[in-house]
Amino acid sequence: MNGNQAGTLVLEDVSKIFPQREGQGEVRAVDRVSLTIPPGEFLTLLGPSGCGKTTTLRLISGFEMPSSGRILLDDKDISHRPPNKRDMAMVFQSYALFPHMTVFNNVAYGLRAHHVSRGEIRQRVERVLDLMGLKGLGERRPHEMSGGQQQRVALARSLVVEPRVLLFDEPLSNLDAKLRVQMRSEIRNLQRRLHITSVYVTHDQVEAMALSDRIVVMNEGQIEQMGAPEEIYRRPISRFVADFIGRANFLPATVCAVEGEQIAIDLLGQRTTATASFTPRLGDSVAVVLRPEGLQLRPDPDLPQVTVEQAMYLGTSIEYFVRLGDERLIVVETDPRTERIFHEGQSLGLTFIPETAHILPAG
Amino acid sequence: MKVQRLSQIAPSIRLTRNRHIAEFWRIFQDPLLFVGLVLVVLFVGITIIAPIVAMVQESRTEQGQELFENYLGSPVYRTIIQNTMEMGLLVAAAGTALGFLLAYVQVKVDVPFKRLMHIIALVPVIAPPFAVATATLLLFGRNGMISRGIFGVRYDIYGLDGLTLVLTLSYFTVAYMNLRGMMMALDPALDEAATNLGASRWRIFRSVTVPMLIPGIAGSFLLLFVEAIADLGNPLVMGGNYEVLSTRIYVSIVGLYNTTAAAVLSVILLVPSLLVFVVQRYWISRTSVVSVTGKPSGTPHMHRHPLIRWPLFAVAMFVTLFVIMIYGTIFAGSFTKILNVNNELTLEHFDFVINGYGSEAMKDTTQLSIIATPIAGVLGMLIAFLVARKKFLGRNALDFATMLGIAVPGTILGIGYLLVFNEPSEITLPLIGTVTVLPKLTGGRALLGGAAAIVLVYIVRSVPAALRSGVAALSQIDPSLEEASISLGEDNFGTFRRVTLPLIRPAFLSGLIYAFARSMTTISAIIFLTTPRTKIMTQQILNEVENGRYGNAFAYCVILILIVLVAIGILAVAVGTSSGAEKTMEGGA
Ligand SMILES: Nc1ncnc2c1ncn2[C@@H]1O[C@H](COP(=O)(O)OP(=O)(O)OP(=O)(O)O)[C@@H](O)[C@H]1O
Ligand SMILES: [Mg+2]
Repeated sequence: MNGNQAGTLVLEDVSKIFPQREGQGEVRAVDRVSLTIPPGEFLTLLGPSGCGKTTTLRLISGFEMPSSGRILLDDKDISHRPPNKRDMAMVFQSYALFPHMTVFNNVAYGLRAHHVSRGEIRQRVERVLDLMGLKGLGERRPHEMSGGQQQRVALARSLVVEPRVLLFDEPLSNLDAKLRVQMRSEIRNLQRRLHITSVYVTHDQVEAMALSDRIVVMNEGQIEQMGAPEEIYRRPISRFVADFIGRANFLPATVCAVEGEQIAIDLLGQRTTATASFTPRLGDSVAVVLRPEGLQLRPDPDLPQVTVEQAMYLGTSIEYFVRLGDERLIVVETDPRTERIFHEGQSLGLTFIPETAHILPAG
Repeated sequence: MKVQRLSQIAPSIRLTRNRHIAEFWRIFQDPLLFVGLVLVVLFVGITIIAPIVAMVQESRTEQGQELFENYLGSPVYRTIIQNTMEMGLLVAAAGTALGFLLAYVQVKVDVPFKRLMHIIALVPVIAPPFAVATATLLLFGRNGMISRGIFGVRYDIYGLDGLTLVLTLSYFTVAYMNLRGMMMALDPALDEAATNLGASRWRIFRSVTVPMLIPGIAGSFLLLFVEAIADLGNPLVMGGNYEVLSTRIYVSIVGLYNTTAAAVLSVILLVPSLLVFVVQRYWISRTSVVSVTGKPSGTPHMHRHPLIRWPLFAVAMFVTLFVIMIYGTIFAGSFTKILNVNNELTLEHFDFVINGYGSEAMKDTTQLSIIATPIAGVLGMLIAFLVARKKFLGRNALDFATMLGIAVPGTILGIGYLLVFNEPSEITLPLIGTVTVLPKLTGGRALLGGAAAIVLVYIVRSVPAALRSGVAALSQIDPSLEEASISLGEDNFGTFRRVTLPLIRPAFLSGLIYAFARSMTTISAIIFLTTPRTKIMTQQILNEVENGRYGNAFAYCVILILIVLVAIGILAVAVGTSSGAEKTMEGGA
């Protein structure tokens, strides 16, 4: 309820252990997670199913209590504060609109809980309905609205209480693909405009990239990597991240020189320099991540030869699966020139854009 | 870029224990929730647990132990125990079969008059005790209108055969509702799949339908068994020389004033009841394969083949007409001088109940039921909310203890009340001295002439059903609705009032209806608690039946049924039958 508050959220070494649903033992749903989210940042928790995203969000919201560690909001320890006193609002996957109330009453719900005066409630609800493009729909019931509209009501209901932190748990996963893209940019614009600290959970990497200032990739309850979308995409620290964010080819290479940040390697018959997520030594065997758009096919007999096993014309691009020795690689061509369209069974040379190569430990 | 790889494994017993304690303490953070929990626990402890414990303790006194050995050694008592079990099993089998048949016809066979059959199957819920038994005596007894009048036989209906008939007619509704619910939840796609694989109708019934319903069938069987062995009204009227435990307990108290003997017999009756309750709760509910919340995909296939349809229709219709005939007899009996002897129409029985001696009982019973109903309804929903939605130590124990209110035979609860509340409960505190916590609630000079104890019993007997329907309703409601409310700043109590309660309104209504009907019709639990100052209709009915004044008894029954029906109507209007949310909830949002 304090729009003037900053909203710095800090997780310090937070863990959550659940007893196993059946029988003995326990599940470490969240394992020693530390995070600092500055005011106004849009942070996304991304990871495969069961990696602990929802649990992390529920720890922040107060619906679960950490087994250990602390959660701080603007320097105050809120680890044990009940969820209704945390100044956060959550947007649910199922929207969780109150089915027995009109849209207006849904949106006014939090204000009434805070004993805001009638006049002010009316004013603020109308304003936020307007903002969300729901003008005139206040008297409808949730079930009389489309999925997109319901999602907007859910968002309006959370925004109207002016929380210090907004929490989202896969809010778009019940929408169809087109609407998802549209709502995505609406959420993005709104959050930029209102500058509310936001934590967003999704397992859709495109959504994460499109929305976030920063992405936290989680795996088995731990933070695997944390950084801006571009950084995560271009400089993944592990095969897991590289595979999870977009698609990746992994090619073996040998380190032939190390000069500070720049590592020289031999790759596909070329000497090139690349960034690395660790410090390899001379002569090390490493794995090189190459994104599909970083690989190129050329009818050039001097290059390492590959065979096109499958070609898929997708309109904006063409995807090829090619075979290089034992490896099956994926190549995406966006070059519009028709002489760059190849066919299954064709033999071609393979090259790459040097700036896109990134080095990971082998194996 | 910050990299974290702290895969230290610290399996932590200490951490686990701290977590339990933390979760437990969490409930203290919300004062209202905490107060609610404390009140509920106190209520359950005082009104359910304490009486049962007192009864068991009484049976374990020296004198009780002696009686116990005597009883188990004596052939008379062994026969009584045997009789009880025999009757329980027979009624359980017959009632489950009847319930299954009616449910199957209702859900799976295309026949006319379904609505009528359904309503008739539900009538026993609001039927006063003794009504069915007395009407059956008039129809099939030694001078029965049908046995003697039509078939010309002097049939001795007293005993096991009569008892099985009336108990089955009184309790088959339990099985009917249970199995009907399950059959409706059965996914028709299963039938379709089986048909596609070439199975015949009979084969589907045998290999798909029945196996899927086994938990429901077993559950109904057990419930009926418990109801049957706990029943007191029917064996009192119908038993004749066929004695069962509940009538023996009744005689021990009312005839012999021997509470210890009654307690000992009660423990003998309690053992199978509790055993069955525990089995039902932990085994049957686990093995259920039918997800009752699951949504069937498609409409069930109805049997249309005449060779299936009409025989089933004939049987179901026969049962329906039989029940109608029973209630018709009650109705006719209330308007005639002495049915079958002097069929002159009269209003004197109604005059007796409404204006005469019976009016006190009518008013008292209705009043006490009106007091008990809302308390039971709200308490049921509150416990359901706590049990289904909140994490705290002892959550399962609270559910279990509440359910004991109905799992324990009514006579046993009544004796427990006699033992616990016959003296004022006092505690001695240092400095302050002796403080009366609860005044004397039963017997002579009891608080409000015993009315307080009767209301407590009404509540205790009604809360379990409200609890179950509340839990069932809550399990259909997405918990994120409540979480949304809390995340918007509302506290637990406000969330319950503004979100949960409106959404479970249909369950609340059925809890209230059940509570009222149960209170008006209950006999075994309050029979020891009535005093000359507090007259209860069911007990008056028993008086009239025992003295052969069937006309008065029937008039009581008719009026009691009318009161219950009117109350249902008023409750439905006052509470509202819908939560206003059905559509969305069906949509799964
Ligand atoms: N209440 C609970 N009790 C026991 N285990 C739980 C509980 N909640 C979550 N878990 C377990 O914790 C782990 C993390 O679950 P969580 O819901 O946080 O995953 P998620 O990343 O949100 O996955 P998804 O993408 O499928 O939503 C899983 O192994 C899950 O089974
Ligand atoms: Mg999740």
